[in-house]
Amino acid sequence: MAHQADAKKSLDERGYTGALIRGDNPLKLFEKAVRDRIVDSYYWKEQCFGLNAATLLDRAVELTFIGGTYGVAQKPTPFLCLAFKLLQLTPDKEIILFYLEQEEYKYLRALAAFYIRLAWEKDADVYTTLEPYLSDSRKLKRRIREGWALTHVDEFIDDLLLKNRVCATTLPKLNPRLFLEDEDRLEPRVSALGEELEELDHDDERDSASDGEVEELPNGH
Amino acid sequence: WDDDADINPEDEVDDTDGVDPEAERAAWKLRELKRVRRDRLAIEEKEKEREEIERRRNMTAEEREAEDKIYIDAQKEDREGKGQMG
Repeated sequence: MAHQADAKKSLDERGYTGALIRGDNPLKLFEKAVRDRIVDSYYWKEQCFGLNAATLLDRAVELTFIGGTYGVAQKPTPFLCLAFKLLQLTPDKEIILFYLEQEEYKYLRALAAFYIRLAWEKDADVYTTLEPYLSDSRKLKRRIREGWALTHVDEFIDDLLLKNRVCATTLPKLNPRLFLEDEDRLEPRVSALGEELEELDHDDERDSASDGEVEELPNGH
Repeated sequence: WDDDADINPEDEVDDTDGVDPEAERAAWKLRELKRVRRDRLAIEEKEKEREEIERRRNMTAEEREAEDKIYIDAQKEDREGKGQMG
């Protein structure tokens, strides 16, 4: 098989025959301008050429930050390039879950989470697969337009589930959690805080109860 | 000319975990609590909206109109008040 010069072939509008996500070429989940910058980038040409779902791991474990595009030239981050590569490869669900479950590599986990949010079509699956990692409190370095910022795995997951734009990409529409709960397609989320949360609730109740008494006194109750 | 001058150097952001496990755990707890609270507020909000719709549905047309009139009058008064101030 002749390996076509990178994304050129899969981005060719004519006679696209690859995998479809939401009925369209998955690469189109990224905006045209971002796609062009990725395909033009040094990292894409040198580090992403000819990767498959297994060799992509070698690159992903080397990631040291997340992010979309940065600088005046809006250079794409390696994180974004690898996400783009994943969209091109559209690996099986099991493979992506394997990426996600790797405890040792937090940036690999972030990459898998980003891909799942982009590519999976069942909203309930996106929530149930990603939400457990809201308890992963590890730090993530994030490249922003100018400079660097600190975020955490749980925050990044929360952003993926809530925000419209993450890492220079408009995310596909995801129904709000409440909507899915109303439709009985999703059980309410159980926080990893567990019993601690209940204790805190009791404290709250006690606080508000005493507040109420103070307020009611002048009225003669 | 030096565009990079005020950009945070990469090592200003440290992503090393487990430097201060207790503080990191506490920071996570705070983030998670905020999320739980936010989600609960969203539910309450929705509940309130539903109750309001239900309440209005149970009213007769006259009652609804009367309520709207009070609301609109209050709005008008508000606007007039503002006009006088200016």
